Amino acid sequence: MAERVLITGLGMVTAIGDDVAGNLNSLRRQQSGIGFTQNIDTIYKDILPVAEVSHSTVTLQEMAGVAGKEGFTRTTLLGLIAMREALADAGIADASDEPTGFINASTVGGMCDTEKVYFDVINPEKEGDFLQYIDTLDCADCTQRIADTVGISEYIATISTACSSSANALMFGARLIKAGLVRRVISGGTEALTRFTLNGFNSLKNIDKKHCRPFDQNRNGLNLGEGAAYLVLESESLARERHARVRAELKGYANTNEAFHPTAPSPDGDGAFAAMQQALAMGGVAPEDVQYVNVHGTATLTNDVAEGHALQRLFGDKVPPFSSTKPFTGHTLAAAGGIEAIYAVLAIQHAVIFPNLHFSEKMEELNITPETQLKEGVPVSNVISNSFGFGGNNASLLISKYEG
Amino acid sequence: MKGKYYIQGMSAISPQHSFGEDIFSQPLVTVNENVFACVEPDYRAYMPPNSVRRLTRILKVGLTAALQCMQSAGVAVPGAIVTGTGKGSLSDTERFLKEIREYKETALNATPFIQSTYNAVNGLIALQQKCTQYNNTFVHRGFSFENALLDAMLLLSEGNKDILVGAFEEITAEHFYIKSRIGCWKKEKIASNELYQHPTPGSISGEGAAFFLLSDQPGKVQLSGLKMVYKPKEPYLDKFLASHNISLEDIDLVISGRNGDSNFDHYYEGLPNELPFKHLCGEYDTAGAFALWLGAQIIKAQQIPANWFPMLKVPAGPYKNILIYNHFFGEQHVYMLLTLNTGYLK
Repeated sequence: MAERVLITGLGMVTAIGDDVAGNLNSLRRQQSGIGFTQNIDTIYKDILPVAEVSHSTVTLQEMAGVAGKEGFTRTTLLGLIAMREALADAGIADASDEPTGFINASTVGGMCDTEKVYFDVINPEKEGDFLQYIDTLDCADCTQRIADTVGISEYIATISTACSSSANALMFGARLIKAGLVRRVISGGTEALTRFTLNGFNSLKNIDKKHCRPFDQNRNGLNLGEGAAYLVLESESLARERHARVRAELKGYANTNEAFHPTAPSPDGDGAFAAMQQALAMGGVAPEDVQYVNVHGTATLTNDVAEGHALQRLFGDKVPPFSSTKPFTGHTLAAAGGIEAIYAVLAIQHAVIFPNLHFSEKMEELNITPETQLKEGVPVSNVISNSFGFGGNNASLLISKYEG
Repeated sequence: MKGKYYIQGMSAISPQHSFGEDIFSQPLVTVNENVFACVEPDYRAYMPPNSVRRLTRILKVGLTAALQCMQSAGVAVPGAIVTGTGKGSLSDTERFLKEIREYKETALNATPFIQSTYNAVNGLIALQQKCTQYNNTFVHRGFSFENALLDAMLLLSEGNKDILVGAFEEITAEHFYIKSRIGCWKKEKIASNELYQHPTPGSISGEGAAFFLLSDQPGKVQLSGLKMVYKPKEPYLDKFLASHNISLEDIDLVISGRNGDSNFDHYYEGLPNELPFKHLCGEYDTAGAFALWLGAQIIKAQQIPANWFPMLKVPAGPYKNILIYNHFFGEQHVYMLLTLNTGYLK
């Protein structure tokens, strides 16, 4: 019998909070993190809203405990801040006291810093401090620097499946534990805003000049965000052995592919439907026992139609309360799955359902509307968290109240 | 990771004539510029004409190797698609960075951005073969392919069938220069077939794609072990062999990642029956996939492509157990064990 996979620690930093408590507080106060960038050098500085972590890179270095150390990109610093909180939250003073895996996720690695020096790097006539950033462009750089700083060495991997990356990192971590290869894995993702990604999504005409409006008839694209989130996953026996405080159980998960279009989902949401359905089946949870769905809900034209159809197909006329938290955090790409998995845990722990900000008009293609009010005191036992991405990559997680 | 996993099909596009021909009669391809490029096949048999025009080089290389691998295994739709790549499509990343600057962030073509996404090849394979199952991409330097392989083994042990697993990597002139600034490549130009006679800092650069159809259905080539070791404090070889109840005397061939880099080649000292492979493909994040392809070819045919190894006396067969040991600039160390499944031959 494979081990159950428990969530025993949480750590995060986003535009709405420097830690988990700060995020919960902003969610409850319905305080969005979307504004304009202070860090990216772009002509869209005052035009395209983003959800940026409101600290300079120097401050982030201090928060991450590496003040004055060189070569740490913003991606790495955000990740390290979240990692330190996750370890502390799980009561792990020394990550090397138990063989531990680190499954990280990233879409563009250290691009945030590399793009600022790239044309110096490729210019043979230029020499200087920028050379320390040469090897930070790839996705492994942030993972290894974080792992090395906190002493993780057993399993190291980085996943990049666009916007579903950290949901897949959580899935892979859980599978390593179930296979008995390791008893503890820290999974999630980190993402810093870059001019590269901002221009990428803008060239796809996917960015709204206003605050994003998921599941609204008049939605017009996403806002990018940055942040990092990690969850400590442990086998049930290890969690018991060390009397860990269990936050929730990662009960089910599934990864499917649309096989439809390089960047768009199928209009009926075939991949999203299959991912949610398979995650529920793995967890042995019936659709009527789901109390909340934290949807991918990017507010792009195509995602919300596809995901909405998938919800209606799966739940029929009993679609549970659902909301996108991207109007709070922006779309944090590789970090989104981790951030929203933590929100799912918070929903269970605090019996709360988070509102979908900026909704005003039902989509004509759908019969359903998102939750627009903060709901407190609602018992939540099972949450589906969705992350869908380019390349047709879909991932759904089923996060449940732990009943030992 | 242990268990019984079989390579039922494979394909490699590499700087050698490795694609779709009898590799045992192919001549050795050498370079003198410290950087290898793939011998590209005719893509028209594998994708529609608009894809041949639209896709950048490494996307075509990756997609074609994947498709030919599935053909060789007689599988049209795999049970999952898992790949590894250290750098993805560097050409597209470089192009988008330049166009942002050149066009001052306006009127940009989205195509290089989309194709620079690391999971673009996975998405293409799924799209072309209508594979709606599990799909994942690992991007971790010298563990990229090996994590994909571990994922494939896990998928089989979880009850899935016919996993397509592979890796793809490209080198560009620009990236070759960037890496030269931190000493990855030799300063002096050498002939690739003399790589092992030049123990100086740095190696030579390369690229390639290799795909495998991994199955739990018995076949001749068995993948019986895989272990990744990150920044090891001490040699791990004995532990790896012991965990598979095998000793070094039982290993008929050690395919080593030796690459002429005096900074890191000491890891390969003392290996018996050594067959180094980096003079064939150069150094890159996912060179381990080429090594696995080479080892699987040798087990399958029970011969070594002798033309490719004029600089050494190749160890004699039979080749029942092949150990692959490779590391990437001293950080990611990988051990793989290939076994001839004699039971299957009876």
